[in-house]
Amino acid sequence: MTVLGEIALWIALPVALWGAAVSFAGGRTGRGELVLSGERTVHVVTLLLALVSAGIIAAFLGNRYEYYYVVNYSNRELDTYFKIAGLWAGQRGSLVFWTLLLSVFSSIAAFVNRRRNREFMPYVSGTLLGILSFLLIVLLFADVNPFERLGFTRFNGLGLNPQLQNYWMTIHPPTLYLGFTAFAVPFAFAVAALLTGRLDSRWIAVTRRWILLSWFFLTIGIIFGMRWAYEELGWGGYWFWDPVENASLLPWLTATAFLHSIQIQENRGMLKVWNMVLVVLTFLLTIFATFLTRSGLIESVHSFAENLTIAYIFLGFMGGMAIFAAILIIHRLPSLRSENQMQSFLSRESAFLFNNLLFIGVTFAVMWGTLFPLITEGFFGETRNVGPPYFNRVNIPLGLMLLALMGIGPVIAWRRASKRNLRKNFTLPLAAGVAILAVLLATGIRHGMALATFSLAAFVMTIVVTEFWKGTKARARIAGEGIVSAFRGLVKRNRRRWGGYIVHAGVVVVFTGLAGAAFDRRVEQEMVPGEAMTVRSALGGEYRLVYESLSHTRPRAAGDVQENDWRWTALLTAYRDGERIGVLRPEKRFYPVMEQTSTEVGISSSALEDLYVIPKDLETGTDRATFEVKVLPLVPWIWYGGMIVAIGALVGLWPPRGVPVSSAARERAVRRPVPAEAAG
Amino acid sequence: MSVVIGGVLLAAGVLLFVLEPVFSGKSAPMYDGDDVFDEGAARRRVALTALRDLEYDRATGKLDEDDYGELRTELSREALEHLGDEGGGDGGRGGDGGRGPDRAATELEEEIAELRRAIREGMQCGKCEHLNRLGARYCARCGEGVGGGGE
Repeated sequence: MTVLGEIALWIALPVALWGAAVSFAGGRTGRGELVLSGERTVHVVTLLLALVSAGIIAAFLGNRYEYYYVVNYSNRELDTYFKIAGLWAGQRGSLVFWTLLLSVFSSIAAFVNRRRNREFMPYVSGTLLGILSFLLIVLLFADVNPFERLGFTRFNGLGLNPQLQNYWMTIHPPTLYLGFTAFAVPFAFAVAALLTGRLDSRWIAVTRRWILLSWFFLTIGIIFGMRWAYEELGWGGYWFWDPVENASLLPWLTATAFLHSIQIQENRGMLKVWNMVLVVLTFLLTIFATFLTRSGLIESVHSFAENLTIAYIFLGFMGGMAIFAAILIIHRLPSLRSENQMQSFLSRESAFLFNNLLFIGVTFAVMWGTLFPLITEGFFGETRNVGPPYFNRVNIPLGLMLLALMGIGPVIAWRRASKRNLRKNFTLPLAAGVAILAVLLATGIRHGMALATFSLAAFVMTIVVTEFWKGTKARARIAGEGIVSAFRGLVKRNRRRWGGYIVHAGVVVVFTGLAGAAFDRRVEQEMVPGEAMTVRSALGGEYRLVYESLSHTRPRAAGDVQENDWRWTALLTAYRDGERIGVLRPEKRFYPVMEQTSTEVGISSSALEDLYVIPKDLETGTDRATFEVKVLPLVPWIWYGGMIVAIGALVGLWPPRGVPVSSAARERAVRRPVPAEAAG
Repeated sequence: MSVVIGGVLLAAGVLLFVLEPVFSGKSAPMYDGDDVFDEGAARRRVALTALRDLEYDRATGKLDEDDYGELRTELSREALEHLGDEGGGDGGRGGDGGRGPDRAATELEEEIAELRRAIREGMQCGKCEHLNRLGARYCARCGEGVGGGGE
């Protein structure tokens, strides 16, 4: 199977190059047979990459330690699911996985559009196959071939990095990659629109769902990553402004800006050039994220780089794509003129524009901070990092402004808002924000950023809830429905709008959770079994932790196979205000194959806060242990908010009423497809 | 040996599948046929959706009569302009059901007409803007007489 995978990799490159060439040629000359050959190529490349991936997984499962990649990311004792996840554990495999996901999305795009958007499809296939060809060239010729052999066979592998031996390893990277790769499809449609000169709202109508799909995966991928980093101590907490974390945030920021700005193009025929720039920028940032993770150009706890060669190749590719896209956009500038002018500063268009500027501002700030080590090295010959204080100082105010706009945008009128309109819609939310501020000040809270966040959160949440309430009530009256069915009907009628509001509500909850960090409490104490420690919560109440015992798995050998890891587990019983709330089992693990240690924290969650226990020193023999205990208010809200955001995105993604899912059903039902917005 | 045979078969199968259209002349559709995207229809649907939202905003008290009137005039003009883009026809029609297969636009127009009728028939209180049940004679919130107000 592995050898077949290797053969498939070699076959895939010429096939993809052929497909890219004939797709563009077919589109240019109008020759349908070339276009069909190109579209078949897309599916064939997907099949071949599936074989490549299967070959790599087979090598992991079969303990094939003659392969360099398998040796470096696996060992005999590793659990099966980590061996399967070995596909994306290292630079080589993850490039294959990235390429596979891109090809799967390319295939879906080619299949879904086999009878529609035909004008675009040759160029869409050509662009996607061009990107796939580039990745295949990297895999085969940039010293990152996953099938490279050592020339001898080792008995055992070097093992998987302990920080990757976590169940999130099987969930977080695939989700994030799905987000990165799905965005190639809107990019390909944008290129097709530029090449064909068909620059009306069609390409946006066609790709709107793809953009949202990519955004959905990016969002949940980032949230999953935050959860993983929160549980696994070595990652530095749920957000550490690490270069690789930042790299995943960058395309999310521009994709979010794009999701808002396309509404201005659809509603008002404005920002056409800007939207083109955003789609190109987002795609390039997905490539940037891929290359940053795998290039080793910037040091990161997440990075799994092996060689720097591909950094320069990726930089070259990004530069080439940026120049290509810039030339196309400049060439089509006359067709990309706005149809309307901004009528007023006080309008929804204006709010969306500010929103875009802020998102780009955050993108630039994050990019600058991420690349700062490279910039300082280039100019001053020494590497300097800016670290979390820089990111927080710059991005928190910008984030709060975005939070405010999230409330203003949905209720301010399109075109121009009168003072009456503003008074009518903002009086109650502003009162809610001020009331929360007053209550918090009265309780003695003086943390400026936290006060601003909670007040703005109240402002935005009041707007979202009021919008839902008023809309539901109006519909219930007009349609004579009950509240529940009126609510359902309201959302079903315009999933995009109401899904967006749900997303906003989720983001408010996430912001609130993040602001909880202002009230973290921390205590460190050395204990022996039987002793207890206490820590007070900023939200009131007191936690008491009783250290019960320390147990450890004995290093043992069973034949030639030993334990994958040795564990020292502390047992602590947690009480809140005298009531037992559970047992925590923080651990230290030693991985003998890699000769590395990892720390697994113990977490006890409630609706409002987490009790977070880090085992610092565990002494076997005396069983003496030092624990760092934190009470982290509102952290669970980050995950609740993430779930709400995901639900909102799914509501927006759900196929609208009147658009049957399958093509056959669609053809039976109507002769023409009904665009998503129509039934909204 | 079996791997070599497998590889050769794989390459041959791929070549056959990919090159077959070139040799047989089998073609992919180059145009959309019935699935043609109509920019005018799309823009009209956007304008109608905005009109529908405008009616809801009015019904829920987010917009007062002056703002509503101004915006409605603009949006109606845009919807009618794009109706012209679709190939002309009954541009003066407000909510009678749309054209041909453009079912979504038809539904939108029907919904807008229904919203306007509801407001016209006096469900919304002129004083406190509370939206009352169809057929109500007095506002459930403030007791003002309702019925017959409207556009």
